[in-house]
Amino acid sequence: MLLDIVILSLLILAALWTTMTRSLLRSAIGLASVSAALTIIMFRLRSPVAAVFELSVCSGFISVLFVTAISLTNPLTRSEIMERMKDRLNRFWYLPLIVAAAGLALSLMNVEIFLRLPPAEAERDVRNVLWNMRQLDLLGHIILLILGSFGVAVLFKKQRDK
Amino acid sequence: MKQIFLPIVTPLAAALLVLCAPKKSNRMKEALALAGAAVNLFVAASLFNKNVNFSAPWLGFGIDLSLRADLLAGFILIAAAGFGFLVTLYSLAFMSDKASAKQFYFYLLVTLCLVNGAVLAENLFLMLFFWEGLLLTLFGMIAIGGKDSYKTAIKAFTIVGVSDLCMMIGIALTAHLAGTLAMSKISLSFTPMAGLAFTLLMIGALAKAGAMPFHSWIPDASLASPLPFMAFLPAALEKLLGIYFLARISLDMFRLSPGAWPSAMLMIIGSATILLAVMMALIQKDYKKLLSYHAISQVGYMVLGIGTALPAGIIGGLFHMINHAMYKSCLFLTAGSVEKEAGSTDLEKLGGIGLKMPVTFACFLIAAMSISGVPPFNGFFSKELLYGAALERGLVFYAAAALGSFFTALSFLKLGHAVYLGRIREENKNVKEAPWGMLFPMIALAAGCVIFGLWNKFPIHNIIQPIVAGEFSESMNAKIILATVIILCAALIHHLVSVKLRKRAINAVDNIHHAPMLSVIYDKAEKRHFDPYDIGLKAVSVFVWSAFLLDRMNDFIYNRLAPGCLGLAGRFISRSHSGNFATYIGWSILGMLIIVIFLMRGL
Amino acid sequence: MISSFIIAPLFILIFDRIFFSRSKLRNVIYWTSLVFFLAQMVMVIFPVERFMFCRVDNLSRVSLLSIGLVAFVTVLSSRQIMKDDSKRRIFISLVLIAVIGMNAVSTTRDLFSLYVFMEIASIASFVLIALNKERDAFEGAFKYVLFSAIATVFMLSAIGLILLISGGTSFNSIRDGLRISSHNFLIYFALGVFLSGLFIKGGVAPFHGWVMDAYTAAPASVSIFLAGIATKATGVYTLVRFADSVFLLTAPIKSVLLFVSAVSIIMAAIAAFMQDDMKRMLSYSSVSQVGYIIMGLGCGTPLGITGAMFHFFNHAVFKSLLFINSASLESRAGTRNMSVLSGMGKKMPVTALTSLIAGFSTAGVPPMAGFWSKLIIITALWLSGYRVYAFIAALASILTLGYILKMQRRVFWSRPADKDIQVKGAGFNLVFAETLLAAIIVSVGIFLPFWLRVR
Repeated sequence: MLLDIVILSLLILAALWTTMTRSLLRSAIGLASVSAALTIIMFRLRSPVAAVFELSVCSGFISVLFVTAISLTNPLTRSEIMERMKDRLNRFWYLPLIVAAAGLALSLMNVEIFLRLPPAEAERDVRNVLWNMRQLDLLGHIILLILGSFGVAVLFKKQRDK
Repeated sequence: MKQIFLPIVTPLAAALLVLCAPKKSNRMKEALALAGAAVNLFVAASLFNKNVNFSAPWLGFGIDLSLRADLLAGFILIAAAGFGFLVTLYSLAFMSDKASAKQFYFYLLVTLCLVNGAVLAENLFLMLFFWEGLLLTLFGMIAIGGKDSYKTAIKAFTIVGVSDLCMMIGIALTAHLAGTLAMSKISLSFTPMAGLAFTLLMIGALAKAGAMPFHSWIPDASLASPLPFMAFLPAALEKLLGIYFLARISLDMFRLSPGAWPSAMLMIIGSATILLAVMMALIQKDYKKLLSYHAISQVGYMVLGIGTALPAGIIGGLFHMINHAMYKSCLFLTAGSVEKEAGSTDLEKLGGIGLKMPVTFACFLIAAMSISGVPPFNGFFSKELLYGAALERGLVFYAAAALGSFFTALSFLKLGHAVYLGRIREENKNVKEAPWGMLFPMIALAAGCVIFGLWNKFPIHNIIQPIVAGEFSESMNAKIILATVIILCAALIHHLVSVKLRKRAINAVDNIHHAPMLSVIYDKAEKRHFDPYDIGLKAVSVFVWSAFLLDRMNDFIYNRLAPGCLGLAGRFISRSHSGNFATYIGWSILGMLIIVIFLMRGL
Repeated sequence: MISSFIIAPLFILIFDRIFFSRSKLRNVIYWTSLVFFLAQMVMVIFPVERFMFCRVDNLSRVSLLSIGLVAFVTVLSSRQIMKDDSKRRIFISLVLIAVIGMNAVSTTRDLFSLYVFMEIASIASFVLIALNKERDAFEGAFKYVLFSAIATVFMLSAIGLILLISGGTSFNSIRDGLRISSHNFLIYFALGVFLSGLFIKGGVAPFHGWVMDAYTAAPASVSIFLAGIATKATGVYTLVRFADSVFLLTAPIKSVLLFVSAVSIIMAAIAAFMQDDMKRMLSYSSVSQVGYIIMGLGCGTPLGITGAMFHFFNHAVFKSLLFINSASLESRAGTRNMSVLSGMGKKMPVTALTSLIAGFSTAGVPPMAGFWSKLIIITALWLSGYRVYAFIAALASILTLGYILKMQRRVFWSRPADKDIQVKGAGFNLVFAETLLAAIIVSVGIFLPFWLRVR
């Protein structure tokens, strides 16, 4: 129980860091650690399949994707960031209002979603899930990691060349 | 090989040989051409008075390779072969120094081949094939005349081509109505559709024969093309072929009777052709052109004769056809002699050469008397038959024919007087008689005129009458003979008086030329206001202009409007692809929403 | 299913990285990868399961064959187009990784694996586009990444929903789950979103925003690979696979497919008329041709799907040939701007001829292969009652022919401009690749009817 609370608070801290930091790279890393924490929680909640998906997708290649994308951008200066923030506020002030209105409407509609779901799969050992059922995906993730590092190396090298 | 193929194959082989003849030896091609024509004559003679049929399946759809030699066909065949031989003989001398001689012989022999084929063909489609082939040789023969002749060649090609097109449609229509293409099996009576088919076929035949209003290329061609061509095609073979086909359709394929409306139509066309063409001939001041108008005018008699639909008329028409071919060829050949020796055919530049060229003059005299219908010669007898038939159908037609005869006599009096009699001119002092190669055909033809005149019973009874079913009265109408003699005397008197008054033979008919109403019409006719071809050209130019406008519009649609719309749409689409990824993402999300809403709309 | 189509390139890649990393033998990967692509084609044409370690059906075979062919000519021609050895090595490595991804997509029977490998192919393509470190290339790559991410979001959420409904991720369990489920609402929502994701991947209007920039900005060799196969083997192939063995092609889905394809065909064909940049024109043409594939699919009949897959193969051949030609122009004449190029027919006869052949195949002119696939598609449309769409497909062929001929006229047939463009000599590889593809187009076009009669 205590472990859960610690992990949850870590998750919240990581999420806060992700949103607060001004460096895109850092916020990507923060996102990866958020999903890492989420994975641990899922494991603890005895849902290994979901945990494996979460680990591979979110902390795996979504992060790779972010990092590679960010590596292509030029970092902005502080004043530029502030300017853009203001600009965004001026242009998109109505977005939160729309979200609020949509939420209000949904809650007033009182939608009841009743899903008849097929029975959940029996709980499985994590090793079984990883190495027997999801063999191909695992290979895929390995390739993805190779690709990510390769790509970053290639592109960063070029940035340095410039 | 079947004997019936020989008339087609022989001239063709000769033509190809002529084409292959070496350039250096002049005599080679001439010898070949003459030999070809002679063999053709022999072959035609061997087919005469025989009934030979040949038929073999060919292209399907009722188009068979069927040939037939009956009496009519054999008669035309031998006549055509005879003219072909004589014209070839004449050309040996006439064309000897012309560069285009080789082409001329080639075309001549091919023409013979095609004419033989068209006459022998039993199947309408096969006949059309040969008939259309003649169009090409016609074009070629006129076109070798020189630079100016091209225009005339195109004119002839257009006129004859258009009428051939009519004939083609007519053949299709006939085949549709009769259910067969074999001529001997077709027998139609005049329903409106059949009348139309007859009219279309008739247009083809008349255009080939050169009747009005399909005549206007002939006077032009007389000036532009080599003279033997005139003697060969417009004067002889085309008449033979055209009238042959007219006789075929009127006698065999359609049941032409005196009561049917096409009969009246033919008679009107015939009378109009006689009168209008002879009026034009009257005022001509060129030997060849004058003759060419007579070539048109005489067709009128034949058409009139066949149009009467009476046995006498038809026999007269066919007899006139062969007579005309003889004397008109002879006349053209005399014109050729005069042109070759005196260097001109302009009446203003000729005069008094009769004594210098006595044989030519004699031949001319005989032929001219024949064409005018002077008693002992052949023209007189065929015209008598025609007059009788025309009088039976109506006084008007007889009057037209008789009046035509009067003017014919008048114009030949003028022509003969102007060319051969009178005072000899300075430039004609050295004129000699034509060479024997040219004289012989003329003499032969003139002799033919005399023979067919004196022993007229022989061709009428042995050759022509068996063709025509039905009896006709032998006896001549004394009144008609009297009227003819009176007309001829009147013409002679008019000529003598007129020459006395005006001093010059060439002006002998000026009183008609400059008569109050007529002079205006003549003026316009001289300026070609009445030439159907020129009127047609004007109509065509209007049509072309409107087609041009239509084409511009099309061009506008294809070159401007469609690419313009395309360009506009393309530019709009290109511009909307601004490269702004927010826009692109917007499209994507919008697309996704639409798809999802569409998929869920029915649920 | 882990097959030799995945293991072998991975092995080549790692082998090269470990043993030849610092050595002078930089061309080892070039030769080994060529051999592998050839082997892949041979394995697919004469299926030997002992060497493949997996079972492939005919749909997969067409896709694997196209992948092998296009990768082969891409790598072959890169020797001429990409002069820098080390850069070419990186390029080939990335192509190998992308091929791994596409091969796995073509053979897998599991939704989640499909998704993972699709991402591999996409990310490899994305690095490939950015390979030249130019501003335009980065922009194109960035657009591609963004759209890839959006497609990912769409597909992931759809996969989540499908998982929720069917309880499994393998194609069979999804199919069974969808069939017995009563949640039509959720199914259609998920399908709509999933289709949108695939449309983005495949570059179909109006989801095609990234296509032009990515294709145009990519280095010459890369765009051959990208346009020839990369986006088709992920997006379009998956669509066909799903239509064939996962979805039920119900009437609303068919109409979505048909409508979207008609919009892409016409819009892209019209837009292609107005382009000056040859590669941009070709990328519009690519959007238009993908429309044809999807249109064939939209019939829902076996004949339509056959036509779609045939056109898939043909498109891979003729579009990579056209892009090779544009690369050839770019590397030899120095530009691919059609308003500058003129009178190239005399100087580059092979390129001119092969691009005419490819163009005719694109437009569906009879003796070429493209004619038959278009004919099959149009026939299938007509037979299944979509007369209007058949008409649109036939009419758009004329538009296609229009812009192809315009391109030919401007680039190859026009009179040379005053300022003469210097042309470098063609290398063997380039000419060989061009001739090979042209020969495939013509021989398939000519021999197909005989082949069909034999069957």
